[in-house]
Amino acid sequence: MDAVERANADRQKKWVKDQKVGEGTYAVVYRGRELATGRKIAIKKIKVGQFKDGLDMSAVREVKYLRELHHPNVIELLDVFSSKTNLNLVLEFLDTDLEMIIKDRSLVFLPADIKSWMAMMFRGLEFCHRNFILHRDLKPNNLLIASDGQLKIADFGLARDAADPGYKMTCQVITRWYRPPELLFGCRYYSTAVDIWSVGCIFAELMLRTPYLPGESDMDQLKTIFRALGTPTEEEWPGHTKLPDYVSIGQFPRTPLRDLFTAATADTLNLLSKCIVYEPRKRISAKDALNHPYFFALPYPTHPSKLPKTIAQTTAAASRPLDEVDGNVDLNSGAGPGATAAGTAPPKKLKRKLSGHDTSRNIARKLDFTAA
Amino acid sequence: MATDFWASSHNKRWIVDRATLKQARAEDLQYVHSPDHIDLLNIYFANLIGMLGKKLSLRQRVIATATVFFRRFYVKNLYCETDPFIVIAACCYVAAKAEESPVHIKNVVSESRLMFSQEGYGVKNFPSDNSKLAEMEFYLVSDLECDLVVFHPYRTLLTLCGRESACALDTEAGEVGVGIDSGPRYWGTGEGRLELEEGPLQTAWFIINDTYRSEICLLYPPHMIAIAAIYLTLVLNDKTREAIQAQGAPVPPPRRSSRTTSGSAHRKSAPAQQQDFVGFMAGLRVSLPTVAMIAQEILSLYTLWGRYSDTPPESGLGGNGAGEHSGGDDVVTPAFLTQLLLRMREARLADLAHPASGQPVAVNKRLERTQAAG
Ligand SMILES: Nc1ncnc2c1ncn2[C@@H]1O[C@H](COP(=O)(O)OP(=O)(O)OP(=O)(O)O)[C@@H](O)[C@H]1O
Ligand SMILES: [Mg+2]
Repeated sequence: MDAVERANADRQKKWVKDQKVGEGTYAVVYRGRELATGRKIAIKKIKVGQFKDGLDMSAVREVKYLRELHHPNVIELLDVFSSKTNLNLVLEFLDTDLEMIIKDRSLVFLPADIKSWMAMMFRGLEFCHRNFILHRDLKPNNLLIASDGQLKIADFGLARDAADPGYKMTCQVITRWYRPPELLFGCRYYSTAVDIWSVGCIFAELMLRTPYLPGESDMDQLKTIFRALGTPTEEEWPGHTKLPDYVSIGQFPRTPLRDLFTAATADTLNLLSKCIVYEPRKRISAKDALNHPYFFALPYPTHPSKLPKTIAQTTAAASRPLDEVDGNVDLNSGAGPGATAAGTAPPKKLKRKLSGHDTSRNIARKLDFTAA
Repeated sequence: MATDFWASSHNKRWIVDRATLKQARAEDLQYVHSPDHIDLLNIYFANLIGMLGKKLSLRQRVIATATVFFRRFYVKNLYCETDPFIVIAACCYVAAKAEESPVHIKNVVSESRLMFSQEGYGVKNFPSDNSKLAEMEFYLVSDLECDLVVFHPYRTLLTLCGRESACALDTEAGEVGVGIDSGPRYWGTGEGRLELEEGPLQTAWFIINDTYRSEICLLYPPHMIAIAAIYLTLVLNDKTREAIQAQGAPVPPPRRSSRTTSGSAHRKSAPAQQQDFVGFMAGLRVSLPTVAMIAQEILSLYTLWGRYSDTPPESGLGGNGAGEHSGGDDVVTPAFLTQLLLRMREARLADLAHPASGQPVAVNKRLERTQAAG
């Protein structure tokens, strides 16, 4: 084992992988713990496939940003290591997400709870935007909740650097219900304001307990938006009729937000309305949002530890059903108490030995002198 | 990820000291006649990355990132135990993705094969199989520890010269500014501004491009490299150049970059500007000895680069005779360097098979990760 492999093995040894807890498009997620402390963690194993087409672009984006971003309201990437042919991301374990909380009908949200979630959301987003990163997929499902109640922005698979003015980006981002109208009209030059629109939709959803603008298709999404907020005028949103995919959807009158959000305070509706302004440049920034009177008015935000919790969260200590135990990775064996003594050789299975029968690995970092 | 260099993985994990670099190349050095050959390989590989990058239509910034990935990989790996040509392809492939301008893996493979197989390079057997490149990508990203955000000196250059906007110069001048994030400065007072004409700005830009041919990008923070490039641009007016030449000290050779600038305009730096420059440098509040040291290193890079020749192989120089060179001041060609690398590999293999020490060498242990070498 050379120095590089040893360093990797040392990192790997710090983490124990337990059962599988979920699966996304490019990764399988396992529950695990830190060997030294027992702290719960998640291990996200990126599927590399059989080395067909290389790393998924989402995986590249996710590791790229998570390696750099450290903030209480952004999911923390604790470590990375490779095992056989997989990249493994060690993440802080998060019990639930905002979508599950919103959907849990047994929970009652107080205005102070919503304010607390909104503050954490804006703090995390302000940090991203300060670093010129657009998230581009904000939705309740991607806002994870830690056991102490902290909200964490997760899933940076669509994130990217805010490009220079004049540099085209794809408009096929953000889950439809949370997608701002400029993207629906095919705008290729956009900014941090796209994320603010999503946050506005989430804000409304927290109050309504149901998605605010649930369009059934991209076209219907625009109609849904206009039905709720009125068809934008040229004055409200100069130049929008010139956007690449602009179509006239029909005239809908503007209905006051107050009609739908009957219980909300004036400050609440003022901040909400500033997040869902049509003209992207007039949309409030995350930084300004944090200074909005809403956050300084009564009631004050609930302390994160006092926020409503799902059953899953309260019983998080109890073990989860064992969906599937990963059989092919060498982590579990390294976890035994016997392996903890400092200076002992790593367990056999940790060695990434490339024997003849491992046919999937026919090239490597290093040249094969054994075959010569 | 444009603002906070100090909190970045680049600063925390990838600025290394000279001892680390020396250690990283120690074993390679045993297989060359002259230490210069390692530095010439560094130039050669950077040139290949640049050329492959252009074939793939990658922006300058992406090429720079690919080169930094390559350098970082070889902080942990040996030239004589790896296949740098696949690593080069993988660096371009990953950098394109990391910088949001992905190219298809097939294109990378076919362009690499096409380019490396040219007579001038003499690299045979570049794998035609996508999966080989994908596999190398995995090892690369693993060894990079997933740190894919790289800071470059270009932005500091533009910020210091008051050209935060992307369109400061025409695109002909090597995409100056394109793809470079604007944003607040992550160091200094933010007050220093230098009025640099287009010409000198271009020169500084090109000097920065050139620094990637050495390991400077591993040793110093990008803003220091930018300042050193400005420093060199301004002190190397014609007069100082003459003086330096008279002493026989190294001077930058005529531009070798493919992007040759026209005429003498870019060497123009009036004495008045130099006066301002002293105050400007002082106002930056950076270590001026370090700036001077980087400038020195850039100058020695240019000296060495003078020995590197892209001349086509029919000139005969170094075509096949890799063995005969004793490592003097001879001119070297890409073909020579490819041969050199192959010989390093062979020697390495022989050593591992028949250790001089007589101790059994754990070939299998050292070379757990096999490779079909194409
Ligand atoms: N840090 C974490 N802590 C606990 N569970 C997690 C964590 N990260 C992910 N999970 C679980 O793993 C599942 C898969 O997550 P992943 O981020 O790979 O995909 P996704 O976001 O659900 O889907 P997609 O990849 O399509 O966006 C999640 O639904 C969640 O249940
Ligand atoms: Mg997701």
